[in-house]
Amino acid sequence: MKSIGVDVGGTFTDLIYFDSFNGNVGIHKVATTPDDPSQGVIKGIKALCELNSFSTSDIDHIFHGTTIATNSVLECDGVKAGMITNNGFRDVLHIGRHQRVEHYSILQELPWQDRPLIARRDRKTVSGRLIPPKGEQLVPLNEDEVRQAAKDLLAAGVEAVAICFLFSYLNPIHEDRAKLIVQEVMPNAFVTTSSFISPQFREFERFTTTALASFIGPKVSAYIAGLDKALRGLGVRGDLRIMASNGGVATPRMVVENPALTLMSGLAAGVLGGGWIGAQCGKKRIITFDIGGTSADIGISVDGSFSQTDARSTSIAGFPLLMPMLDIHTIGAGGGSIAYVDKGGAFRVGPQSAGAVPGPAAYSKGGLEPTVTDANLVLGRLEPTDFLGGDMRLNTKASNSVIKSLGDELGIDKLEAAEGILTILNSNMANAIRSRTVQKGLDPRKFSLVAMGGAGPLHGAEVAAMLQIPEVIVPPFPGITSALGLLTADLKYDAIRTQFQVSTTLDLNRIVSDFKAMEKELTDRFSSDGIELSQVTFTRSGDLRYVGQGYELKVPISDGRVDANEMSAVWEKFHDIHAAEYGHAFKSSPIEVVNLRVTALGNLPKLEKMPPRKRGSLEDALLYKRNSIFRDQGVLKTFETRVYRRALMPIGMNFEGPAILLQKDSTTVVPPRSEACVHISGSIIIKLEI
Amino acid sequence: MSRIDPVTAAVIQGGLESIAIEMGHKLMRMSYSSIIRESEDFGAALTDADGMQMCECKMSTPLQSGPIPGYIRNIIKVLKERGDPVKAGDVIMHNDPYGGASHGPDVAFCVPVFLDDQLIGWSVTTAHHLDIGALSPGSCGIVDAVDTYAEGLQFKAIKVYDRGIKNEAVWHILRANIRAQDLVVGDMEAQIEASRIGAARFAELVRNNGLDETTAAFHDLMDYSERLMRNAIKDLRDGEYTATTYLDGFLDDPDPSLSKLPLVVTLKIRGDELTVDLTGTSPQLKNKPINMPLVGTVDCAVWLTIRSILLDTTTYGAIPQNSGLTRPIKIIAPLGCLANPIFPAPVIARFCSGNQLADTVMKAFAQVVPQQISAGIGNLRVVAISGLKDGNHWVHMEIMEGSYGGRFGMEGMDAVDTLYANTRNNPIEDIESHIPLRIERYELRTDAMASGQWRGGIGAIREFMFLDDAGFSLEGDGHAFKPWGFDGGSDGYVASLTLIRSDGTENILPSKVPYFEVKAGDKLVSYGPCGGGYGDARLRSYNAIEADLQDGLITKGFAENIFLI
Repeated sequence: MKSIGVDVGGTFTDLIYFDSFNGNVGIHKVATTPDDPSQGVIKGIKALCELNSFSTSDIDHIFHGTTIATNSVLECDGVKAGMITNNGFRDVLHIGRHQRVEHYSILQELPWQDRPLIARRDRKTVSGRLIPPKGEQLVPLNEDEVRQAAKDLLAAGVEAVAICFLFSYLNPIHEDRAKLIVQEVMPNAFVTTSSFISPQFREFERFTTTALASFIGPKVSAYIAGLDKALRGLGVRGDLRIMASNGGVATPRMVVENPALTLMSGLAAGVLGGGWIGAQCGKKRIITFDIGGTSADIGISVDGSFSQTDARSTSIAGFPLLMPMLDIHTIGAGGGSIAYVDKGGAFRVGPQSAGAVPGPAAYSKGGLEPTVTDANLVLGRLEPTDFLGGDMRLNTKASNSVIKSLGDELGIDKLEAAEGILTILNSNMANAIRSRTVQKGLDPRKFSLVAMGGAGPLHGAEVAAMLQIPEVIVPPFPGITSALGLLTADLKYDAIRTQFQVSTTLDLNRIVSDFKAMEKELTDRFSSDGIELSQVTFTRSGDLRYVGQGYELKVPISDGRVDANEMSAVWEKFHDIHAAEYGHAFKSSPIEVVNLRVTALGNLPKLEKMPPRKRGSLEDALLYKRNSIFRDQGVLKTFETRVYRRALMPIGMNFEGPAILLQKDSTTVVPPRSEACVHISGSIIIKLEI
Repeated sequence: MSRIDPVTAAVIQGGLESIAIEMGHKLMRMSYSSIIRESEDFGAALTDADGMQMCECKMSTPLQSGPIPGYIRNIIKVLKERGDPVKAGDVIMHNDPYGGASHGPDVAFCVPVFLDDQLIGWSVTTAHHLDIGALSPGSCGIVDAVDTYAEGLQFKAIKVYDRGIKNEAVWHILRANIRAQDLVVGDMEAQIEASRIGAARFAELVRNNGLDETTAAFHDLMDYSERLMRNAIKDLRDGEYTATTYLDGFLDDPDPSLSKLPLVVTLKIRGDELTVDLTGTSPQLKNKPINMPLVGTVDCAVWLTIRSILLDTTTYGAIPQNSGLTRPIKIIAPLGCLANPIFPAPVIARFCSGNQLADTVMKAFAQVVPQQISAGIGNLRVVAISGLKDGNHWVHMEIMEGSYGGRFGMEGMDAVDTLYANTRNNPIEDIESHIPLRIERYELRTDAMASGQWRGGIGAIREFMFLDDAGFSLEGDGHAFKPWGFDGGSDGYVASLTLIRSDGTENILPSKVPYFEVKAGDKLVSYGPCGGGYGDARLRSYNAIEADLQDGLITKGFAENIFLI
């Protein structure tokens, strides 16, 4: 069985293939084609097949990570969308939570008012009203008004329609009926409902998520249809699976119907890949730490499962997004982050980035500001002649000059300035990791840090040291972890039902029947997508809170019989999770079940291991020695540092820091007072003296 | 001069900031009442041993974090007078509006931080509580308290934990004297936990970095914030600039001295120093609680507005909020005026007065930095709705948004919290699922757009129906005086509130309504205020007018009238 993972990034499209029959693995990289990313995908797949001598018709599965939906939102480049909603609530999207983005700003922008996903003129209202607790009908839907609204939207040139009614998550009847009517009037439009996209309470967030889906829907459909056609044209017979934000993959049909599923998928695959790398090294508690040019992404995995965000913590381009997704924390800190002295005289690094153009001063592409990459070069941690495998020559003189100017401005020595940039950056990143571990009751000292992305292996060890994380894992190919992650994903669909049930007056029958209904819904979804269900597993959970609270915590619920015993175990688990998360539990307070969730996993073939490595020796791998600068016991010191060619390093031989390992997609720094070796899985494990 | 190298300073500062964020995050998520968790009406900050603010949680509301140094300074003073020194393990409760608190319902829980035996700082959370035992249910809309005693319980530096031992008596007294006890006490416990976490993290930070280094970094940080503020003031033209706006006061009161209350602000700019003189402001009201504590409300309103204008986050990025920012600013408020009342003048309903004062400060700045302000804002209004269920009180508070005036090159923000408040509304689907209310309308007003080259923001209409008998009260302003237009822009639109009884009789309510009973089937219709216009309406682009027409924000007749098209 041959599987291909293809991940489209901003600059490169990364590909990896795995043959479960013979264990073969191959990787490849082509330039991304921003105007139509499917061209790069096709070109890459073709090349990958040729390089590894198999035919495109031999491919069984293609797993694809795409940012088409994400970019469409970030670049405000969607379609003209319309909305049909309740009378009296035309401006839910516009008023939002009536909160400003910034406390201290008169001249700020409110994304939902300044860049509306759906203009007011295209938001139509109709009579009809449902009410809690069960979605009973208070006012019937006025179908004539719906029809008229659809006609008006059609005349206005609207291409996608979001149908959003209050309390539809309790009862979709009005939305479903309105959808049929709109489809009759607008057969070519993308029409969706809020109860389909994200059936949970909080109207602004649900309506906005539905508006996002509509805004990007037609583009996503066109992209997927085009890609599918091109793949068939190439002779591919295997199926296409698309990465979703929840850390699973979905069928093209599912993504076309709910394009919001993919909005945060770019990061999900990377975290999966990092988790897989850690697991290959036998680790169960993993922090994935992915640093690129502008940002660092942090994910947490314990015992093979990744934490998910709660419903209230995700947004894209300033718009809230109610979608199940992996909990990935992003901060603006990367290789291109600019170091500067701000208006008040403080030393800062990021979040502004020099990007790829003009890039760091070292790139000689016109960048005049000191960046993290320049600091690494000045300290002798990057090789000027061996960056990106020698594809780019770094300009040490330019880096020295911009760092020296920064030092002059701060009144400190050049090397202190360079090392200061790294310390400030690393400390920002350590704070970010702390917010995901220490602050949630997890002890980072019991974790391994998987350092990936182009710049992760440069910083991983020093960040780990700040957090007393004892070991750092650097994957064999740190730059393609997302593509790799694609080959570890399962089909994963989520269902949700809002409950608002309280522990003291629980209607168990409703819970049992809602779980049953969700499991049926998911099974039907798989079969309507043409998925053979030999191995589907359901995972149940609930979003719980103490009565009165506004934020829920996700609590696992067993998949057996849900009875009073199971529920008392659930309450206990909730108390424990609350105590771990916030440091305290209110044991005598009643608990509210806000939502029930079921996640269905359809097992897919996965990457098993990386290809075995050639035998090497440290002597073969050693290129030369050079001077690099590190802070040791508080003082800047120059160390004689061994520089190795990573591909030639032997398995299982320990070597001491300081050392620098070169490879095409990344540079690994093994700092003083640490030792490292190549694990049998191909990853480097750096052990720190804590 | 820096006390410490810039790298260590940056590292310690980052550490301080993440502690404050963690405190706020945990408080917000643990708390029970919507006023904290949804409206985010809470504060979290660390101070040094003397009460100088080191950092605040960026999610907290400015009017909560801002007063924290004042709370601590007063606690220190009171404990000293009492001869009861602070000890490790103490948790101190404080809500004295004449001792740093913004008003009685904003209760602080303060945890002293010790390194060995030395007091090195304070970890503090404040939050607005649903009820603090005032004369009528809720802690908003109490517009008829005659003095601070009528406003509820007053806690003046009370040790609710003494060296780690819970002072049970205080909690029993508290529970017996407030409504919705379980919610309020739950929120207080959440506050204590969040403050304790902050204290533990702060102690750890100091242990890791050293006390001298931490202190040095913090003083550098204050200097830094101060420097930014001084530089911004230095760029302004020296001179004196005065502005006046009016509070509604009590429009339905027969005593004319209780309405049309002037707020007068004179900015005196000299070099890098700024004096904000409130002389001319209305005398305090002896028995109406819209007076503003000088420390805790007036100072925060002034600081916040200056910071938002001179160091606008959009231009400056995030600047650490600490005591350094306020050093170049001096506030003068004659004793006995609305902005510096004499104890025990009541203050519990000072919210709208303070925000109107913030608007007045902005109006004065409009003469100095016209491209950095907005035209007049629409003020906020707070409603408290309450009832009894199975012998227990339920209380729901809702902050009704205002809107901003037009800005240079930008329209006013529509239907949003203004100036010193930045809360969140409650989702309709949450409200209707938990309390006996039905929301029948929540959308923008039509034909209520202040004209100008850049139009004023538009307020929201909200209609709600009571499904059960309940109590209602309103604490608002802006029913009588229009938000000011600027530079040729027209004035905005006032807010209104109408009670429609189930039999159809209509009552137009003033902006302050003490607790009264409503019946199932009664309905409230609220029109939010609309901010002033900016610049000459004749300069407004035709496309912008056309877009507003198409969006249904204005009708053709209105456009013809106002924009003369």
